[in-house]
Amino acid sequence: MSEQMTLGSMTELLKPWTVASRPVSDTRLEVETTAANIVPAVGALKTAQWGFLSAITGLDNSAAVKADSGTAAASGAAPAHNGGGFEVLYHFCRGPSVLTFRVKLPREAPTVPTLSAVVPSALIYEKELAETFGVTIEGIPDRRRQFLSDDWPTNLYPMRKDFSPGSAEGLAQAAPVAVAEERRGTLGTFIVPIGPQHPALKEPGHFELTVDGETVTHAAIRLGYVHRGIEKGAEDRSWIHNIYLMERICGICSHIHSTAYVLGVEKLAGTAVPPRAQAIRTIFAEMERVHSHLLWLGVAAHEAGFDTLFMYSWRDRETIMDLLEEISGNRVNYSVNLLGGVKYDIDAKGTDSLRRGMDFLEKRTRHYLKIVTNDESFLRRTRGVGNITFEQANLLGTVGPTARASGVSRDLRVEAPYLAYADFPVKTVLDTRCDLEARFIVRINELFESYRLIRAILEKLPPGDLAVASPRRVPAGEVISRVEAPRGELFYFIRSGGGVKPDRVKVRTPSLCNWAAVLSVAVGHKLADIPMIMVGIDPCFSCNDRSITVRRRGSDERWTWEELRRYGISYYGGDA
Amino acid sequence: MNVVLAIVAMILFPGGLFVIVGSLAYEYVDRKLVARFQNRVGPRWFQPLADLVKLLVKEEIVPAGVNRGLFIWLPVAALAAAFTAALYIPMAGFPPTWGYRGDLVVTVYLLMMMTLCIGLAGANTTDRFSIVGSTRALTQLFSYEAPFLLALLGPAIAAGTWRISEVNGYARENMWMIVTQPLGFLVALIGLMGKLELPPFDAPEAETEIVSGALTEYSGRGLAFFRLGRDVELLVGLTLISAFYLGGLANPLQFVLKTIGLLFITAALQSLFARLRIDQTVGLWWRAGAVLALVQLLILIGLKSLGVHL
Repeated sequence: MSEQMTLGSMTELLKPWTVASRPVSDTRLEVETTAANIVPAVGALKTAQWGFLSAITGLDNSAAVKADSGTAAASGAAPAHNGGGFEVLYHFCRGPSVLTFRVKLPREAPTVPTLSAVVPSALIYEKELAETFGVTIEGIPDRRRQFLSDDWPTNLYPMRKDFSPGSAEGLAQAAPVAVAEERRGTLGTFIVPIGPQHPALKEPGHFELTVDGETVTHAAIRLGYVHRGIEKGAEDRSWIHNIYLMERICGICSHIHSTAYVLGVEKLAGTAVPPRAQAIRTIFAEMERVHSHLLWLGVAAHEAGFDTLFMYSWRDRETIMDLLEEISGNRVNYSVNLLGGVKYDIDAKGTDSLRRGMDFLEKRTRHYLKIVTNDESFLRRTRGVGNITFEQANLLGTVGPTARASGVSRDLRVEAPYLAYADFPVKTVLDTRCDLEARFIVRINELFESYRLIRAILEKLPPGDLAVASPRRVPAGEVISRVEAPRGELFYFIRSGGGVKPDRVKVRTPSLCNWAAVLSVAVGHKLADIPMIMVGIDPCFSCNDRSITVRRRGSDERWTWEELRRYGISYYGGDA
Repeated sequence: MNVVLAIVAMILFPGGLFVIVGSLAYEYVDRKLVARFQNRVGPRWFQPLADLVKLLVKEEIVPAGVNRGLFIWLPVAALAAAFTAALYIPMAGFPPTWGYRGDLVVTVYLLMMMTLCIGLAGANTTDRFSIVGSTRALTQLFSYEAPFLLALLGPAIAAGTWRISEVNGYARENMWMIVTQPLGFLVALIGLMGKLELPPFDAPEAETEIVSGALTEYSGRGLAFFRLGRDVELLVGLTLISAFYLGGLANPLQFVLKTIGLLFITAALQSLFARLRIDQTVGLWWRAGAVLALVQLLILIGLKSLGVHL
């Protein structure tokens, strides 16, 4: 109720810049504004300290307009599609409430001003919008590409509806756009590149660290090395195919992606999912959190050169992997979710092994908590290192354990319970020390919370069906689905045109939210601390990169080893 | 000493072949112990040899922008220095092949060559990881080298000689110096770990930050020589410390027991700690290591001047 009031008061506050305002539900408010007014409107929101920028969604309405003319007045609920232009949606979140600014743009020369002066973390989302939709962002400080490959053709925007995956073929630029001349920095400083291939990174990403001796003076990031075109691909697959596509966004938090997706689609379709299914989804989500946090513990210890902890925590992580396999048959992509329910039941035998597994892991986790809070040499690498203050965490829109370790209470399982979290409440794990040690402690304490929750659900697993039927066509409409992934808030925006395929699926993963904080904190630290700070947010690169597939000039899908070798030699200027 | 014996000493025993086999065996024991401490299976017994042979048959890539001569000869110099050091110590419990007044100092310098060569090798390339790595290696050298030398001086002062063989003999006849000079032993053992860049002193080659540090650009033969040289240093260092602090080395059985015992301790230390940052390493050595070694030395000199027999 109070959230309704808050959103209501926002309507008043934003009145000067509003074209139209529409409460979508108790927790969602949509404010239509114009490109000229978006910056002052967001400024007002920031002054009122209301929420954080969670995602920016681009929409291409050209296909939706066609569908409208085809089915005439079929979709009264959907907003009018400004004659096939673009829309940019800025989603601000605060607890369970979402406030969306909708800016409608013409098809020709769509332009919005940058929000980065008001909200620094907007930059990363704006670049994604600019590169994939061709919306010009005015006043952006740095125009280097963030996601698309450097030799991707200019003026070809993959998320537009008139783009077809084949059309980039043969168009790759002969000379890649400004592969920046190596910047040497001023005297005495030089740039240490971390990535795309680097032992500290288990997945490709690129960091440019300007160092003066051992001290970092500037940090920059480049993503997109594993773009797979998932958002675009989703528009070409049925609602059901997409469950499995979304599950493959990330190999670590696969279940939570498909959960966010099915929750959104079920909301659109109005499917009532049986409580037993929701409870089983919750158990899997928590098991996934356990495996993800234990994995992170090992990786973070390895970054600090503490390989013994790495080996031990990964050994114990096998317990949860075995449990996942025992129940679902899979270790990575469990494919638990269906539209309308789940595939797997947890029987008495499964319950028994789960209980035993939780007991074992709880004992081990207690040991690890003791290590990370007591081991002197480890504390020297974590205590007081990589401080993200409460204000920074709040302003830069960090999410998940990273935010909670800075005292920012953001946990959707508590704030906006989904699945079975309303019946089995979770306690928010908070720490106010803001440093790396706090990030360790928060994650480890969340493990205890997960063990407790899994036991509690097993105790009172609701009886009933596992799944109900779900329609093949999903009614037209837009929905936002937010869940708490192991790394933080996962944001899905799904739009249906009423057909068998979605019109748009926008995924904003938690890792993206946390980069801004990391880059600003890295400056001033020793080079040796950087891997720890980067890993402190538990970055997941596959989650960052979803939008694009690149085919280079004259390439075929399948290359022989010899072809690849010759290509490599000629690419680097040699002769084969 | 006649020429034949000298050649045998250099090629078969205690130099050359014996040192290669022995150091590979010690690398195996070290890796296996660390693996077991970390709950891993660890390598098979011939793994260090297989690694060495594999590297030797691989192509050695000389990157652009390096001084070719330095790039190729630095690993050779490092390995040669380590091999030479092996001739001055009571290897396998036998008396050293060569010896003269002051050979202790020469040996310590020979052991230092390795780090110097690695530092130069890193600075020789244009790779940024190598440059950061060699800066760290040399910074670390300046922090542990003095305390390490002081720690080896303790037994020498007690024995009243600078000859390794005489210190060894003195150690065999008196109480183990680990008891009379515990501080020195601690500094020497940990100094050896710093020398060999073993965890937690592996900042110069911290893979999560600077890939392989100074040796990032090395492949094939050069890398094989550096690795083998480091193994030889491990063997020489362990021999030296057990000869000085663990009651001397009289026969091969004592040698194996004492050095493996030391290896057990270093392996445990390797798996116990998180990596120290380079500034923490330097701080640790100058605030604790150097002070401890000095205190030990001052006590010794004080007692000696009072005429106490140690």
